[in-house]
Amino acid sequence: MKFIKPKDIDNLYETLENGEQQYLLAGGTDINVQINNGTIRDPNIVYISHLKELSGIKEKNDHIYIGSTTSFKDVIESRIIKKYLLLVHNSLQNFASPLIQTSATIGGNIANGSPTADVIPILLVLDAKLIICSKSNTHEVLLKDFFTGYKKNVMKNNELITKIVIDKNAEAKQQTFYKKVGSRNSLAIAKVSVAGVKKVSHEKIENIKIAVGSLTEYPRRLFEVEKYVTGKKLTEIDFEKVEELLSTEITPISDLRSDKEYRYHVCVNLIRTFLNE
Amino acid sequence: MKINFILNRQNVAIDVDPMKRLLDVLREDFDLLGAKEGCGEGECGACTILLDGKPVTSCITNAIHAEGKEIETVEGISQTELGKLIIDCFDETNAVQCGFCFPGFFMSSYNYIKTDGERNLDKIKKALSGNICRCTGYKKIFESVMLACERAN
Repeated sequence: MKFIKPKDIDNLYETLENGEQQYLLAGGTDINVQINNGTIRDPNIVYISHLKELSGIKEKNDHIYIGSTTSFKDVIESRIIKKYLLLVHNSLQNFASPLIQTSATIGGNIANGSPTADVIPILLVLDAKLIICSKSNTHEVLLKDFFTGYKKNVMKNNELITKIVIDKNAEAKQQTFYKKVGSRNSLAIAKVSVAGVKKVSHEKIENIKIAVGSLTEYPRRLFEVEKYVTGKKLTEIDFEKVEELLSTEITPISDLRSDKEYRYHVCVNLIRTFLNE
Repeated sequence: MKINFILNRQNVAIDVDPMKRLLDVLREDFDLLGAKEGCGEGECGACTILLDGKPVTSCITNAIHAEGKEIETVEGISQTELGKLIIDCFDETNAVQCGFCFPGFFMSSYNYIKTDGERNLDKIKKALSGNICRCTGYKKIFESVMLACERAN
């Protein structure tokens, strides 16, 4: 095991160039559990919590920039988030527990990429982008294109997420929705979570975005369902068709928290609730 | 690696594996046995401490996270005026059963009263929601924190 604490951000990018698999340590709420239970053995650790460039929330022109090592507590309490992104503020209230909210970071929740990661469905319906940097390159990736498989993503060994970017108007004039179903309010890992934004005019769904967590290898948008309901009035929506499309888009699993039939039905019901609201 | 921090208002320095769990640093290197290991996964809150005034689970926090920061544990906080007031309230309402989770409940209660302190049951429940009591004596714990809010104001 190697431990590196880069002296500054340039030194961090330099460190990431050495070609090895390295784990970035920010809040540590997930990686420490994995190290302690032996899932991750003998890791090379690069500590990034002290690098101020990676944390904090700023607004600039039409966008909000959230540093990747910003804690959930800071996201929830941010004046900027409360002003523009009430869905984010409200939905994260029950994220983990107040104790975990202090340590856990938004970039960590994304990079770790758990199928149950609470923040990802919310950011997906807000069309969030990630700024990914390495020593010689900076590029943007839409969050919907970030994941490639179970806990897998498009990042290379020498890259890290530096910021999450959300349009200030991502929620403007839209109805928002978030429901997480877990065993209890606090410290519950979601059995099913559904996030959505929609705009209805003259009873017709003008545009809609729906994303789900805990139902696929990684949280994802339901593009087929969205496409089907767009332009329709509520009375024109055939919910059997919605279920049929849903069954092609989600692949719920049975695990210690729930069985797949339960997850499927709860997801159907939550989408119905969202459409009816 | 050498790590410097403030522990219960005293400057300390220690040469330690930076990945060592902060809980183990406190218990083994500083002989502060108040913070307990319950689940070891950040879910039960028995190891709660304050890091720069914010409550965290020290079992999934590393020694390196303390670098340059202020750490407060049950040993330090229990000596403060507010700490003593909270202990008296726990005492009077018979809130403590086996006691294992209590250093954690104490730290979360202290943090709530210090940062908010409104005598509001819903808020208190939420503030203590990261702490689990296997004796399930929540009702009396909430009552004692309600009482502490009343007295602290």
